[in-house]
Amino acid sequence: MSDHYTVVGTAQTRSEAWQKVTGQAVYVHDFSLPGMLHTKILHSPHAHALIVAIDVTAAKALPGVKAILTGADLPYLLGLYMVDKPILARHKVRYQGEPVAAVAAVDEVTAERAVGLIKVTYSELPAVLSVDAALAGQTLVHEDINELEYIKGAFFPQPDSNIASWHQTRRGDVQQGFAAADFVFEDELSLPQVAHAPLETHVSIAQAHPASNRVTIWTSAQSPFSVRNLLAKAFGLARADIKVVVPFIGGGFGGKAGIHLEPLALALSRACNGIPVRVKASREEEYNQLPCREGLRGRVKTGITKGGKITAMQLYFDWDGGAYADYSVNVGRAAGYAGAGPYALDNIELHSRTLYTNKVFGTAYRGFGHLETHWVIERHMDLLAQRLQIDPYELRQQNLLREGSLTISGERINANSGRVDQCLSAVASEIGWCGYRSAAERAAGIARGKARGKGLAVLHKAPAMPANTATGAIMQLNEDGSVIMLLGATDMGQGAYTVMAQIAAEILAMPLDKIKVSGEVDTDHSPYDWQTVASKYSFMGGNAVIRCAQDVLRQLKATAAQVLRIPVDELAHANERIYHVQHPEQFVTYQALAMGYTYRNGNAIGGPIIGRGTYLAPGLTNLDDNGQGLPALDWTYGAHGAEIEVDIETGEVTVLKIASAFDVGQVLNPKLCKGQVIGGVMQGLGSALCEEYKYSPDGKLLNPSFTDNKIPTAQDTPREIVPILLENPQADGPFGARGVGEHPMISVPSVIGNALYDALGINFYELPLTPEKIALAVAKLARP
Amino acid sequence: MLTNFEYAKPITLTHAVQCLAEKEREVKILSGGTDLLVALRRKQVQPALVIDIKGLKELTALTYTPGQGLSIGAAVCVNRLAEADVVRQYFPALAAAARVLASYQLRNRATVGGNICNASPAADLVPPLLVYEGVLEVVSQRGSRRIPLQDFFTGVKQHVLERDELLQGVFLPDTTDATGATGATGATGATSATGMTNVTDVGGLYLKQGRLKGHDLSIIGLAARLNAAKQFRFAVAAAAPTPLRLFALEELLNAQPFTPALAELAAQAINLYIHPISDVRATAEYRRHMAAVFVRRAVSSLVTAGGKQDG
Amino acid sequence: MAKHVITCGINGAAISAEVDSGQTLLEFLRGELSLFGAKEGCGEGECGACTVMVNGRAVNSCLMLAVEADGCEVKTVEGLAQGGKLAILQEEFVQHDALQCGFCTPGMLMSARALLDRTSDPGEEEIKVAIAGNLCRCTGYLPIVSAIQAAAKREREETASE
Repeated sequence: MSDHYTVVGTAQTRSEAWQKVTGQAVYVHDFSLPGMLHTKILHSPHAHALIVAIDVTAAKALPGVKAILTGADLPYLLGLYMVDKPILARHKVRYQGEPVAAVAAVDEVTAERAVGLIKVTYSELPAVLSVDAALAGQTLVHEDINELEYIKGAFFPQPDSNIASWHQTRRGDVQQGFAAADFVFEDELSLPQVAHAPLETHVSIAQAHPASNRVTIWTSAQSPFSVRNLLAKAFGLARADIKVVVPFIGGGFGGKAGIHLEPLALALSRACNGIPVRVKASREEEYNQLPCREGLRGRVKTGITKGGKITAMQLYFDWDGGAYADYSVNVGRAAGYAGAGPYALDNIELHSRTLYTNKVFGTAYRGFGHLETHWVIERHMDLLAQRLQIDPYELRQQNLLREGSLTISGERINANSGRVDQCLSAVASEIGWCGYRSAAERAAGIARGKARGKGLAVLHKAPAMPANTATGAIMQLNEDGSVIMLLGATDMGQGAYTVMAQIAAEILAMPLDKIKVSGEVDTDHSPYDWQTVASKYSFMGGNAVIRCAQDVLRQLKATAAQVLRIPVDELAHANERIYHVQHPEQFVTYQALAMGYTYRNGNAIGGPIIGRGTYLAPGLTNLDDNGQGLPALDWTYGAHGAEIEVDIETGEVTVLKIASAFDVGQVLNPKLCKGQVIGGVMQGLGSALCEEYKYSPDGKLLNPSFTDNKIPTAQDTPREIVPILLENPQADGPFGARGVGEHPMISVPSVIGNALYDALGINFYELPLTPEKIALAVAKLARP
Repeated sequence: MLTNFEYAKPITLTHAVQCLAEKEREVKILSGGTDLLVALRRKQVQPALVIDIKGLKELTALTYTPGQGLSIGAAVCVNRLAEADVVRQYFPALAAAARVLASYQLRNRATVGGNICNASPAADLVPPLLVYEGVLEVVSQRGSRRIPLQDFFTGVKQHVLERDELLQGVFLPDTTDATGATGATGATGATSATGMTNVTDVGGLYLKQGRLKGHDLSIIGLAARLNAAKQFRFAVAAAAPTPLRLFALEELLNAQPFTPALAELAAQAINLYIHPISDVRATAEYRRHMAAVFVRRAVSSLVTAGGKQDG
Repeated sequence: MAKHVITCGINGAAISAEVDSGQTLLEFLRGELSLFGAKEGCGEGECGACTVMVNGRAVNSCLMLAVEADGCEVKTVEGLAQGGKLAILQEEFVQHDALQCGFCTPGMLMSARALLDRTSDPGEEEIKVAIAGNLCRCTGYLPIVSAIQAAAKREREETASE
């Protein structure tokens, strides 16, 4: 780790840990307000059906029921990119689990009883339950797709189809590239929808203050300003009318970006004359009503020379986006510039189609499409290496992006962009990679009953965000010289506030424990932040905090210059003092300047020191019709190397070791950074080994519970996770840092799939790699 | 908050069965609550009266009498079985199943009686109780009766208890073989402790496959036991509408010479006797595959243990 | 709803309270006693966020009726720190960064406390088994296992030096 800094780069413990280990951390889950009402929701039992009639008479008559809403009461459509989603289903339902009616009542039991009394008549429609059915377009999920509002230029809904957006990327000439190839190989890989599974389910409380437009929302959300923005748009309110408060968040992982239960809570509170209303998702609703990660089918065709140089690639990503577009059209767009992996591809044609289906809808999930696209691309790289009989390590090294390469959207990679080749070398070395094992070694492993294999995979990701993405920081010096900092980003456990305090401490040259970050975002008081998503906050927030701290120093020095009668440019700062650069004994403390400086004669200068710093992501452009442009604030590269052991009878995979390297530019806090790696790798292993939405043939989610939609437990951990943090600095990152929050998940399924091939000689094309899938494949191998 | 019901915690068996005899209201028995509270929450059951049986000393006792057997009160929690020396020593397949049932917290609450009466096809404790030839002791105001466990289940979540009957406990005959198999002194079990002076089981084990390594329901579970007379006993979970004792497989193996070849024979044969289905947790194909894998492993391990004993 | 008066110890303090028969222990702790440490993550005993200790044993408080706690000693995360000082286990969770969002942490700590109360020197696998009923989506569990091992070592040293 870096030794040029005092606080940055040191392993500080997270600042709010004491609250979390004592049970004092308060989540919206723990909130209640006087008189607060509780909500229960009636869900659609059908994947696709017309709503013929809803009868709420009996439910309304139940004592304790304060409001019942149905889609007819809520003529609003919401959507980040495609404005396609009602708060409660209107006219028809598009997935089983979709909210159809909501009851606010004095307690949950009453609300639930009332829900049971609502009668809905449906007329079932054929359901679109696969990407093929969606593409065929026989049945339309959104029959009004031609009329939907959307962000033009960024998304491309196709008329009279189920294609919410068709993003295309073209560089070079693929036909020429295929012609120049010695071989052309094609693969198809897929993965199902999976759940975010935050331990705290979605929960929102809204209070619509009567006789005014004023609205207060307490919500478990990653992006309070985004909630404010979307709510204002949907309800026609001024931003300043809406106050969104986010305390501690019990996990987000992308599932709490955007807007979810807030509009319903607000509508119910309005219907109850401003009594606060809480809407809290049960675990079942978390799976079945709230969004998940999209499924994906990827088809890839690659032209390659005998020596392993890729000459052309054609990709079709078809996203099973579910009933509403939410983030998944933007996931599809991100796949358009990053979905081919960190490779230099001169000739590429890429189609990324986000499809509407009658399933739970997809949204952002840690990695934003990259785990999915990298399952396709990083398995494909190994499949290419197998066919060419070359080392997959060499194949990758030969094609990776390097200084001077162009990305598939035409961005030139430079000396400060980070080094994916070094990440790959680091993990290969850590796991002792020396090529695929021989058929004889493989057979011996299978005969032993425990087959071992190793695998490699690389990855990249840039934040997916618009050109005007901004953030701000405010710092105030307290009377005692300590600092309180206000930030607009949320800390849901990634450690943002701890790291921001470290950055402030470094710039201000003061002890970390004198810097506090206000632990609750309140859009009325906190400075703006676009969203806490995309692994962009260390970068953007870090730069804003640097500027904010510099602003504080500027103010301190301006006053100190007068107090000390020293020109500003001869002042330095350290140890909470401003002093003469040559004569440190001439100094004034931060504390003495914090509230301004008063001379003996009563004259006063300066004033309470309040610093501000902002950061607006620079250099981003929209993509043109061929997907060309500059979408990336920064690229973080990474690689995984894994060694696994497979019980060839049960099919169980034990990860013996997984080494994960990321070029983070500069480690800001090694403890928290490694925590992101270990946690992310484990979450990636969930996608790799066990997680999956399963539907009945008529589109009902069969496993909306932890009982049957398992996430890994402590007994499912690898024996060893080795985080490797490379530091090739990003010239415009804070102290050279890049983001790494999402990256550890990406390519984890790929590396396990690749190691499984090494162990068994069997290629798997569909996630998850369950014991069942593996055992049955091995058994099939044994009896040809 | 769960739905409205009355709660009673009788401290005498008489009072308990009297509560159960109520005909007007729906009565549910609360033992560990790990199934009942979930059902209450989901409104799958809406009893008027809930009877907590953990105050009944007859139901909370775990007693081992050498030469006779183990008496397990219905309200004995799973962790007590997992941790009890007598269970680990004399009924190792039961202890093994208790160790892998659900999660640690759930094992502190879930009870033997609950696991039996819930009548899940995947109940982990039932296969070992079947191979140890458990007999259920049932009481009601009408008297008491004993039901061999193998006759208890009638279908998925179905059993023979009348609504006024209470499962008091399950009795397992001692694994010391009264017939006195020859040459088996100083027995060594495959998974049981050594140093026994009695003529005891060679060994017993429980093998379970879940979708992941931690806390999961069984997608297949197999209990296997080799008694002092070198007779095999097998039972499976999640391989049929009810947990199943595999008598026919036992007969097949017990009629053969006691050699390592039995493992493969068992693996080949077991699928004749089970009826797994495909569901959200696993396909029938994988369940069949794993049944064969487990029985091969179990028999192989028990034959090795039995062979050592002879040696 | 039928009411029952229960008497129990909560983090060492004796209390007597009237509870509804249909009230879970978790609802009682949070709703009546304002002990918000234990969380509801699923309400069905699958996630362990509601884990507390009853008579020294870790249980899912969402699957226990409040009335069942009559006569029991209940310990929650709020009872770990004594005299305004974090307990060793809590300190090690902080040091090892064994938490991120923190939502599973109270339950995780109580499973760990119950483990260390029954065995002072648990092996790695034993720790993993003891917390397999506590889901954590953030940390990847390994820092939690390290924290529990470190706490066990410090507690043994402390006992030895007493």
